[in-house]
Amino acid sequence: MQSLRSIFIPAVLVSWMSLTSSPIAQTPTTGGSGEPPRASSTQPQPPSAQDPARRRRSGARRGGRRASFTIIEAGTVHPVSGPPIKDGVVIIRGERIFAIGQQGELQLPPNTKVFKYPDGHVYPGLIDASTDIFTDARLRGDRSLNGGSVIADGLLWTDSRDDHVIEHGITTAYVRVRTGAQLPGQGAIVRPSNSGFNLWEDKEQAAVQLRMTQGNSASHPLQRQTQLESVGKLFDDLDKYLEGQEKYEKDLEKYEEDFTKYLEHHAKKNGKADKKPADPKGAEAKKSEAKPAAEKPATGSPNGRRGRRGEGRPPRREPPKGGQPQELTSEAFDELLATMMAVIGQPATQPVDVQGPSRSRPQNPANSAAKPATKPGSATSKDDGPKRPTYPKKPREDLQKEALNKVLDGDLPLRIEAHRVDELRAALNLQRDKEIPLVVLEQAYGAHRVTEDIAERGATVVLTDVLPFSLAAPGDKRNAYAKFDPTSLPHQLNTAGIPFAIAGGTARMSAMLPMMAAAAIGNGLPEAAALRAITLTPAEILGVAKETGSLTRNKLADVIVTSGPLFASDSRMLLVLSKGRTEYEAK
Amino acid sequence: MQILNQNRTTGALLLTTLLAVPTAAQDVLVQASKIIVAYSTEAPNNMVLKDSALLIRNGKIAFVGADIPAEARRAARVIDYGNATISPGFVLAATTLGRDVDLGEGAIAFTPDLLTADAFDPWLEQLDTLAPAGVTSFGLVPSARNVAGGIGAVGKPGLEQGRLIAPEVFVGFSVSRSARNQERQPTSLMGAHQMLRESFTEARDGVKIGPDLAILRQVMSGQRPAFFYADTFAEINAVLDIGASFNFAPIILGGGQSERVIEKLAKRGAGIVLNTLSPMMRRADLELPAKLNKAGIPFCFAGRPDQLRLSAALAVRNGLSRSTASTALTRTPATMLGQQANVGALRTGCGADFVVFQGDFIDLSARHIATWVDGKLAHGASAKQAMKTRNTNLTGGR
Repeated sequence: MQSLRSIFIPAVLVSWMSLTSSPIAQTPTTGGSGEPPRASSTQPQPPSAQDPARRRRSGARRGGRRASFTIIEAGTVHPVSGPPIKDGVVIIRGERIFAIGQQGELQLPPNTKVFKYPDGHVYPGLIDASTDIFTDARLRGDRSLNGGSVIADGLLWTDSRDDHVIEHGITTAYVRVRTGAQLPGQGAIVRPSNSGFNLWEDKEQAAVQLRMTQGNSASHPLQRQTQLESVGKLFDDLDKYLEGQEKYEKDLEKYEEDFTKYLEHHAKKNGKADKKPADPKGAEAKKSEAKPAAEKPATGSPNGRRGRRGEGRPPRREPPKGGQPQELTSEAFDELLATMMAVIGQPATQPVDVQGPSRSRPQNPANSAAKPATKPGSATSKDDGPKRPTYPKKPREDLQKEALNKVLDGDLPLRIEAHRVDELRAALNLQRDKEIPLVVLEQAYGAHRVTEDIAERGATVVLTDVLPFSLAAPGDKRNAYAKFDPTSLPHQLNTAGIPFAIAGGTARMSAMLPMMAAAAIGNGLPEAAALRAITLTPAEILGVAKETGSLTRNKLADVIVTSGPLFASDSRMLLVLSKGRTEYEAK
Repeated sequence: MQILNQNRTTGALLLTTLLAVPTAAQDVLVQASKIIVAYSTEAPNNMVLKDSALLIRNGKIAFVGADIPAEARRAARVIDYGNATISPGFVLAATTLGRDVDLGEGAIAFTPDLLTADAFDPWLEQLDTLAPAGVTSFGLVPSARNVAGGIGAVGKPGLEQGRLIAPEVFVGFSVSRSARNQERQPTSLMGAHQMLRESFTEARDGVKIGPDLAILRQVMSGQRPAFFYADTFAEINAVLDIGASFNFAPIILGGGQSERVIEKLAKRGAGIVLNTLSPMMRRADLELPAKLNKAGIPFCFAGRPDQLRLSAALAVRNGLSRSTASTALTRTPATMLGQQANVGALRTGCGADFVVFQGDFIDLSARHIATWVDGKLAHGASAKQAMKTRNTNLTGGR
């Protein structure tokens, strides 16, 4: 076997050096599907690329795509997706993991940068599933936020101690704020670096936050029940809103058809019937543009579940951006313009309003030339042909309702902050009643009492404050949360088979992820489950598990190296790589 | 007695041995794969026993490891904690157990001769929180509201009630903001400083002094440790000046800004009782234990007992060594309280106060299995069962 390997591996290495996409060794981990990175061609560009201001504040470094190799040799490699590997090695190519295995089993590429840590432990980059990193006090106290607010727009790099979470091995984080608002915005997934952060492409709006708690202040259960039941009203008129949007879209299509007929009629009348109508080409182009969006499956639902809104009818069309009606292609408009100008007998030298000739804008000189031709008294006004259609009225746009509709469609998870048992029950009832596909319960301190319900509904849980008596001193009768034990909750959820992540909650506590996981181990959670709770499970909850969360081939090279076992108090961070780039290295 | 029946030929010798081991039926033999008899600030100096045992008799450590007589070992009730680690119980250097009002005489600022023991309630609910946190003994300090608050005591929690093992141990002083009151003297730090200086001067030089100044004389002669509440630079400086003037080494309670006077602290031989650490603290506060240790200043932690382990773990995370952090929870506070012969270690003659963890308690991943106080199980999942069963092998230790 050994001889076969000695022949086989160099042979494979040669082919690997020539074909850079072929692996040199079989990764021992499971889940190494080798799937290509998720397509994002139809998705909007990352804000760091779109918005110069955001790019500046992020401090993101620019650089070409690197394809060089980096090798990490360490005493123990913990892939998370598989058992630990003694004397392991991780090979990184560019920004992705190329292979992992045991030293001696993999033939390493020559002239490669090698990090050697004979006593070190290698783990995937840690993922904080809930934090307020890169937010300032103003944003954290903004009660005017609603479900349509995009937290990503308010993130800032201040170079403070709390911003340097990368030094603690946090390579991915979900950022949200806890204001007093019932719907405190939409959280974002960020990738911290040593000089800023980058927003995760396509995850700037990663989830909708919903607050279903009044905190630990004294309150009567009936009062809480009344308040919690009122939360359901947020979802009540979404169907009506959706119907309005759909009606508008139908009206818009009808308008386009009618207007085309209208133009065709006048084109024929002016003896230009042989001219190719503009609409077919434009409509075809438009259809081809709209089709991918319509056929695209719902994103953000890794398990493929969809709410009732997603069953029995085609997916909803995305509303046009910026409050403008859907635009035709330039070719279609050229055709339309030419046809229309031919109808009115003028050269197509003036730009025409996208929204069609139905809107009279006397102040606009661009339209003023076209106006006399459509006035009553002209040749067309005496015609018996189709009447000029009226442009449909666009319903008022409501970003919160848009976001909640995405929640109902399963495109966005709903992250509900609920602490007490009755709050958690109300949250689960909301999920059941509204058929919300993706629900994440945050700070679910009383979750041990409703584990069966959580498991039945398929919700996931993000736990914070997992430290001894972090909520209240033992025996503190004035604090309603003294009865909760956040350190034993992970074990209880794990026993019930509920996916959960351990999260920092605040920027400063993000650095405490390993210690919080350690505290959970001290209360019965198996070590492997604790490691998963700060790596792979949060990646799954955030919908980025295909890219990060474990040391698996083709995933992003988010790798940390510690001086000892991660959960030991005296373990030091030695090296942090994010997408293969060295973000922190202990001196 | 069974041994006697089985082997009559050994007669007098065995009988002598058994008589020398009074009430052998009460002995408890506690076994574990690792027993740390005493911590030291230097890891190699930790006294560690592998696969060993402790023999508990009358609430105290009677024998340790190989010193346990074979007869006593056979006759003892065995508690086997398997591969767990037994360490000395934690010593909470200073606490008021939430009885701040009862431990401070508000009308008079200078009451060094009051006894905190007089205000101790053995059935206090706060005592029930100590054993689950691993605390097996505590220093009961006077309130910070008096410049000279009184004489502190040392106590222990228990399964049903607490008790004081030393009612008059140290003297509690305060120059903190709490000690200043606009309705009586002193109203300022200067006033508090002056009050202390005059009192110590009178105690040193006076020919005929009362019981209150006699307490100060005991402080100056080293008979009683002196604990001072002081947090800011000015307060700590004032206390160090008093100590230097009257030739005693103070122990600072709080010492939040002690980093600024770290050289002076070391020079005066002062000790620090730090407040428990929190992850939300400034980095400088979290690194303070390591800096104090580097300067050779003895320190320990006080505050919420349930945060002691976390404080030690945070200190280790920020540069302190494991052994020093462990010492700061056990031997150092015992020494500060002058009770090193009784608590803070598992040497022969010390109280049988220990904690059992699955691993090193400095790691939060170590599971807390049990706490024993005075040879009795004060906290633990199978505590009562363990005490009733002979030759028990606790599942919690495996």
